[in-house]
Amino acid sequence: MSEQADIERSAAEIRVQPLLSARGITRHFGNDGGMFSKASAPIRAVEGVDLDIASGEVLGVVGESGSGKSTLGRLVLRLIEPTSGTVSFDGKDLCSLQTGEMRRFRRHMQMIFQDPFSSLNARMTIGDALVEPIALHLGLRGQAARDAAVGVLERVGLHADHMKRYPRMFSGGQRQRIAIARALASSPRFIVADEPVSALDVSVQAEVINLLQQLQKELGLTLMFISHDLSVVEVITDRVMVLYLGRVMELAPTESLYGNPAHPYTAALLQAAPGMTSVKKHILKGEIPSPANPPSGCVFRTRCPFAIDACAHTVPTLRPVGPDHLKACIRDDIEL
Amino acid sequence: MPLIEQAVETAARRPVLSVQNLKTHFLTDAGVIKAVNGVSLSVGEGETLAVVGESGSGKSVTGLTVMRLLGRTTARVVGGSIEFIDRDGKAIDLLNLSDMGMEKVRGHDIAMIFQDPMSSLNPVFTIGNQIAEPIRIHQGYGKKEARAKALDLLRQVGISDPESRIDSYPHQLSGGMRQRVMIAIALACDPRLLIADEPTTALDVTIQAQIMALLKQLQAERNMAMIFVTHDLKLVDEIADRVAVMYASQVVEEGPVDQVLGHPRHPYTKALLECIPSRRDAQGERRQLHPIPGTLPNPLSPPSGCRFHPRCAFAADICIASDPELEAVARDHVTRCLRWQEVAL
Ligand SMILES: Nc1ncnc2c1ncn2[C@@H]1O[C@H](COP(=O)(O)OP(=O)(O)O)[C@@H](O)[C@H]1O
Ligand SMILES: Nc1ncnc2c1ncn2[C@@H]1O[C@H](COP(=O)(O)OP(=O)(O)O)[C@@H](O)[C@H]1O
Ligand code: SF4
Ligand SMILES: [Mg+2]
Ligand SMILES: [Mg+2]
Repeated sequence: MSEQADIERSAAEIRVQPLLSARGITRHFGNDGGMFSKASAPIRAVEGVDLDIASGEVLGVVGESGSGKSTLGRLVLRLIEPTSGTVSFDGKDLCSLQTGEMRRFRRHMQMIFQDPFSSLNARMTIGDALVEPIALHLGLRGQAARDAAVGVLERVGLHADHMKRYPRMFSGGQRQRIAIARALASSPRFIVADEPVSALDVSVQAEVINLLQQLQKELGLTLMFISHDLSVVEVITDRVMVLYLGRVMELAPTESLYGNPAHPYTAALLQAAPGMTSVKKHILKGEIPSPANPPSGCVFRTRCPFAIDACAHTVPTLRPVGPDHLKACIRDDIEL
Repeated sequence: MPLIEQAVETAARRPVLSVQNLKTHFLTDAGVIKAVNGVSLSVGEGETLAVVGESGSGKSVTGLTVMRLLGRTTARVVGGSIEFIDRDGKAIDLLNLSDMGMEKVRGHDIAMIFQDPMSSLNPVFTIGNQIAEPIRIHQGYGKKEARAKALDLLRQVGISDPESRIDSYPHQLSGGMRQRVMIAIALACDPRLLIADEPTTALDVTIQAQIMALLKQLQAERNMAMIFVTHDLKLVDEIADRVAVMYASQVVEEGPVDQVLGHPRHPYTKALLECIPSRRDAQGERRQLHPIPGTLPNPLSPPSGCRFHPRCAFAADICIASDPELEAVARDHVTRCLRWQEVAL
């Protein structure tokens, strides 16, 4: 089948049955009725994001720090409540679930963090750390739970001998494997991986990327892969969402995004990333503005080399520029 | 570049720093850590040498030893030499310089910047104060003149509207801005050599690109020598003329960037390149990443022979038994591999 047809087919699949959907998902911080809430504007961490992830898809989320990547990841897992908007998983509205229901639902959705140390309890053996979610979510006890724990350990390239050891006895790469095993323990369908390889040396990073890719294929996992490293994202994802100040700037199949970036911010990120392009036309000036006080119109306009007067007045809508390729920029007359 | 031209260019670069067979060891409760074990490096005027390697390979300790910033109680320089050539062409033996003499070198000749500017900036003084102070001490400027020079330096490192920034405290600035301030402090002494230890590692790629461009520009303007320490091979190509690849406390390969990255002659360099996610190959296929088998060696008990032998795809018996020396594979290009003539990388 031609690539074009492939892309169109996947677009159609997503429309038919996304595993995860978000509509208008928004999260503001700081203005929660606290003492200073009137004085300071809320931090608009995520602002009106629409998102569909198909079953088995790997969606990358990129953007500078402070662009709202981690907040979006926590919102879609309902680890934090949205200020407005909805998230549904497999057709179920997550926000309508009661606490108990949500807790049971958690087995389907897990998270992996950048720092495997902080996500593992230093005083718990690896075995106990794995048996806990297995008992909680799968209801297994005793030997059955321990067997299941050894099973997931082996999946991530470790073995039964490691069950009795403590996190500090492992290298950074092994700890990240353990964190992955813990996330897999409840047999989830969806995992948010937030900068899972950013703290690792390149040789270990390559190992963990290969492992994630292999697990994703074998288990048919759906993955949201958050990273500031564009070269890693290109390797592992099917589609990429580019965030800036909590808004989606561009959303496209990976090849199309890297080959033909349509938004000035995406192009700037690709040019800034070492080893991505030999063209360094624009070094992006300045820094990301405060999300408490985002620019009017297009939030990127204060750093955009192509900004015109209209950019200050119009909030660009996310609109198609190619098959499955969306951008939020009002200009079509620019050469990136 | 044609070989002749390259030779001329290399020859024209007056040497600034020459490190020979340096050994810096730490005496810890658990044993001796040979953090730097026989490192040789050199860098000339207007030249950038990248020092690249994974964490723990000895990059920072090498830089700190040159600056003599390591505590004497645990860190011991047990061998080798560090020679700095000053503006008049006089060689200075840094390891045997008095503390006073070294203080002067740090104020006039060699400056260092780090990954985390917060650890070097004093939180209770304004950045203006911190830039002006060394200018007053080392260059004998008065208060007013020093402030004017500080403003000028802030402008040079790309801080817009420096008048409104100069009285800020470090915590009021972003990470990128703080690194610019550190660069301004480093440049205040108009150094002949700048050692930049992972200066962009904590920054976003966009800010990293700004700082890299700034360092390149300042270096060219001042004809400074620069040692750029990084764990990121992708940056090497963008900034350096030559590169030294470190593994387990040693330089395993050194040479011109094009040669070392384009035609690596050490199995570790090659293996490191294969780990890097990069654009698709000519057919547009995603390239498979090839991790290096095994783990980084324990610094307390590194392997015998070639330190890389337990992880090397080309290791033979000889690699376990003998310590490889750096050997020339081409002009200006050395490798520490016993089998470089036999293996096809
Ligand atoms: N719990 C919180 N309280 C207040 N502000 C927050 C909180 N979490 C995130 N933020 C703010 O929201 C914005 C987006 O943060 P984050 O989602 O962590 O971005 P990223 O992961 O892209 O770096 C930032 O300005 C951040 O400071
Ligand atoms: N102050 C110290 N005391 C003991 N060991 C140290 C100290 N500083 C560094 N080391 C050790 O020296 C080795 C080299 O460290 P370093 O030069 O910081 O590596 P790199 O900068 O390449 O990541 C490591 O094994 C590290 O643990
Ligand atoms: S809308 Fe305007 S400011 Fe925003 S990215 Fe497009 S050209 Fe730049
Ligand atoms: Mg984050
Ligand atoms: Mg270091």
